[in-house]
Amino acid sequence: MGDMTGLLEQRRRLLRDTVALRQTQRVPVVPLANAFTVKVVGVSLKDFCADPVLAYETIIQGLTSLGEIDATQQPGYSPWLLQLLWNSRVKVPGVDLPDDTLWQVEELELITPEDYDTIIDGGYGAFLERFYAETLGDPLVKVGPYMESAPAAVAAWEAKGLPVLASGVVTIPFEALCGGRSLRAFVLDLIRMPDRVQAAMDAMMPAMIEGARGMLRAFPTAMGVWVGGWRTASQFLSPTLWERFVFPYYTTMVDVVLEEGGIPVLHFDANWNRDLERLRELPAKKCILSTDGATNIRRAKELLGDRMCLMGDTPAPLLTLGTPDEVYDYASALIRDLGPTGFILSSGCDIPYSAQIENVRALIAAAND
Amino acid sequence: MTTHVLVQALGDLEEAAVLEQVQRELADGVPALTVLEELQKGMVLVGERFECDEYFLSELIFAADIFKQANSYLAIDLEQRAGRMIGAMVLGTVKNDIHDFGKDIVGMVLRSNGIEVVDLGVNVGYERFVEAVEEHKPGLVGISCLLTTVYEDMKATIDALKAAGLRDQVKILIGGGPTDQVVADYVGADACCRNAQEAVDAAKRLLGVG
Repeated sequence: MGDMTGLLEQRRRLLRDTVALRQTQRVPVVPLANAFTVKVVGVSLKDFCADPVLAYETIIQGLTSLGEIDATQQPGYSPWLLQLLWNSRVKVPGVDLPDDTLWQVEELELITPEDYDTIIDGGYGAFLERFYAETLGDPLVKVGPYMESAPAAVAAWEAKGLPVLASGVVTIPFEALCGGRSLRAFVLDLIRMPDRVQAAMDAMMPAMIEGARGMLRAFPTAMGVWVGGWRTASQFLSPTLWERFVFPYYTTMVDVVLEEGGIPVLHFDANWNRDLERLRELPAKKCILSTDGATNIRRAKELLGDRMCLMGDTPAPLLTLGTPDEVYDYASALIRDLGPTGFILSSGCDIPYSAQIENVRALIAAAND
Repeated sequence: MTTHVLVQALGDLEEAAVLEQVQRELADGVPALTVLEELQKGMVLVGERFECDEYFLSELIFAADIFKQANSYLAIDLEQRAGRMIGAMVLGTVKNDIHDFGKDIVGMVLRSNGIEVVDLGVNVGYERFVEAVEEHKPGLVGISCLLTTVYEDMKATIDALKAAGLRDQVKILIGGGPTDQVVADYVGADACCRNAQEAVDAAKRLLGVG
């Protein structure tokens, strides 16, 4: 245990130094995996989804069996978390889908324009109480077992000398509304009723900020949280919409995470190329920008290399269809081009369920050779 | 000069102006098919602005929605409308994937660019694609996905079209978050489209009208 505590501290220091853009001896590797580890360990997706303790044990066993990693991005997983994140329905194996089919988010117009007024008038908390009960079928009950297991999950990683980079996920009102409204309808709302949507977003922020603070305080040993961005990516929105409905809210959320002493891990999927330079306005040497292969990570290094640590970005198709040599070469090139300071090697978003096990082994090996 | 006004108004995403102009032109006796043609030219202008990064997906969605509203004023029967279309696509999200937002947006943008879309929905079985191609005889098939787990299903769909002797009769486009040219090559598609406008451009190119 003593050795593990020392190793845990050593790895935390490596990550903290990397985030602060200080010189390190090597580039850390922190892949993100959930469903993929089911294949490595040999459990069913249905059981993985039904039992959050089995889920985190599977992730720990699966990832650590493929090489030496430096941390985990998240302590565990439950697909029900996606319901809370995006106010969407989720289809889950063993419940709505065959036992070995991957969970999927069902994008429906569950939130209506009238709901903006409800949020403005009564606050986000009151809206969610009704929305959860009437529309999502008590997601808090479904996610309860995961919440209960999370402290033990963090402890289990740390007992292996592996820090937990992010205790959970926070985001901004755009994502929560867009998920529940559907992208097409929400974009039309942003254009046709911008003031109403913005008023709703502003009314949501106090509850979302409180939630973020609560998450950081509940897991004091975790190093930070994800500040997630999916449909907020530059590729989806005009600069006018992005500047009004996206960036100011991220700025606030990043400040909240930093105030609580956490590292904001900007988990930004899809293509953010157009607005990379705007991220220079976030506090220097405090954040991680994590991209999934759609953003040009080398361009991000040019624009943000003196301001922000980058993490990524081995693409899902490469991990699925590539060879171990191709993955190794891709990851080695990332280390060469983006390291040695301010870079964490990772998968782009999570390692897909369909990834080849030897490809993931090659990814991890690239950081250790 | 009414043509220029309507094309420009749609290109500029002036929703109220587009709808007013359509009604004005119809009241002035401009044939509905001519108005439809102007609207389609407006969508071409939108596409050009998308390609030079003046517009983004949000503008494509808005433009297609304006187009749809404007279209509802045009009393054009199916036969006449078909005559104005440049091609047809059988479109669906592949088997074992239920995501539809990308597919829906692509379908909407394709329609407003003169391509008739037969939307098969989500989790579409291999044989359903085959049946739809036999029934509708489109020049194009569009297969969408958001999961890397369904690459094999995309491949199986295309293999089913081959087995039915239909592969040479259609050009196949794929799209969705985890697709790229490597995936297109692996599954045997003719093109990979990273966004709705690329789908329009690829469709026109493959139909030989772009």
